[in-house]
Amino acid sequence: MNAMLTRDELALALGRTGEGDRRAFKIVYEATSAKLLGVCLRILADRQLAEDVLQDTYLAVWRKASTFDATRASPITWLVTIARNRSIDRLRSAAPMRRSVPVEDAHDLADAAPLASDVIETTDEVGRLNTCLETLEDKVRTAIRTAFMEGVTYDALASRENVPPGTMKSWIRRGLLRLRSCLET
Amino acid sequence: MTDTPIDPSDQDRALAGELALRVLPAEEERAARARERSDPAFAAEVEAWSQHLATFAEEIAPVTPSSGVWPRVEAAIQPVANDNGRVAFWRTWAVASTALLAASVAGVAILLARPEPAPIAPSAPEGGVTRVATLSLTDGGAPAVALAYDTATGKLFIAPTTALSRGTGVPHLWLVKPEGGVQLVGAIDGSATSRRTLTALLADEAGQARAVAISLEAPGHTPGADAPDGPVVATGELQPL
Repeated sequence: MNAMLTRDELALALGRTGEGDRRAFKIVYEATSAKLLGVCLRILADRQLAEDVLQDTYLAVWRKASTFDATRASPITWLVTIARNRSIDRLRSAAPMRRSVPVEDAHDLADAAPLASDVIETTDEVGRLNTCLETLEDKVRTAIRTAFMEGVTYDALASRENVPPGTMKSWIRRGLLRLRSCLET
Repeated sequence: MTDTPIDPSDQDRALAGELALRVLPAEEERAARARERSDPAFAAEVEAWSQHLATFAEEIAPVTPSSGVWPRVEAAIQPVANDNGRVAFWRTWAVASTALLAASVAGVAILLARPEPAPIAPSAPEGGVTRVATLSLTDGGAPAVALAYDTATGKLFIAPTTALSRGTGVPHLWLVKPEGGVQLVGAIDGSATSRRTLTALLADEAGQARAVAISLEAPGHTPGADAPDGPVVATGELQPL
């Protein structure tokens, strides 16, 4: 497990997966499943549920790998996006929330260890995001980060911050636009 | 960050960002998803946002999955060494279906509540479970049918959102068994909401089935109970509400 792959190696393995290469798919799984489970767990908190969604995620990866385009997307962010979206879909489909631990405790689940990334992502991308996040007001930065990490909607964010949903929406929309123009300069 | 209005040209970009971040309420998200499917420029914008935002995941510590996950994934993608094309087809299909999104159960709940608020008796020891599915078109993935099934009463509720019949084909509903293979429920009305009560045998199957599917069969033709003869046009995972 935890094979260290460079971005190019992972992109290659994902490309081969798209051609139906099962061995390449296993390489992708071994290099990325711990990261993706971390993402699922952040949103779903429940280990069983998160592993269930992880399984679905890789079946989706198997089917969709041929649509992965290394010239447009980084492989790990492509995978993270699938895992996150599936986790959120599962979270919202289980209407009476089955978060088994409070959100605050759920944070500890995934954040305990210092990060040892399975896949080497070019750190300047991370650095750039962080630099740009720094240009936002604290409350806006926190809201966007929480939205990503926990997969919650405007309504939930607004009630947490005790502001009307419209205010939260305005914070985030403006924050996103600002972030984007910063990221692209 | 004050109240100057957002430039109209930035509205789409902000909406794409909201969709990628998943902060929109259900209704707005559905509308934005529809836009994403029909507008390539908007879809590209959503993808760009997803790429940017996924960088946040760098902060998330990896957690090694249990050793049982990979074998399950691997089993689900095994090619079937079998010359029976129908079995192979259903196996492949079942893999795809497990991976289908658990779509919009809330929408189904509303549908359910309106025509016939399913009475749930919390005191009943054998309390029924409502199972729901959103069937999406195999061609394009648009949601086509909402389905709800009450395990206590055996009542099945089917609400097509798009006309299902293409040409002269008659839609037939199938249950996908947990162990593989399918079971015919019967012909359904592909253009209007309908209800039926399943026989005991079928009710049992429907309580176990992991997915449902719709095939189009030639008029007057009833396929065998274990395999459709016509094309499968919609599928969806069947989940507890």
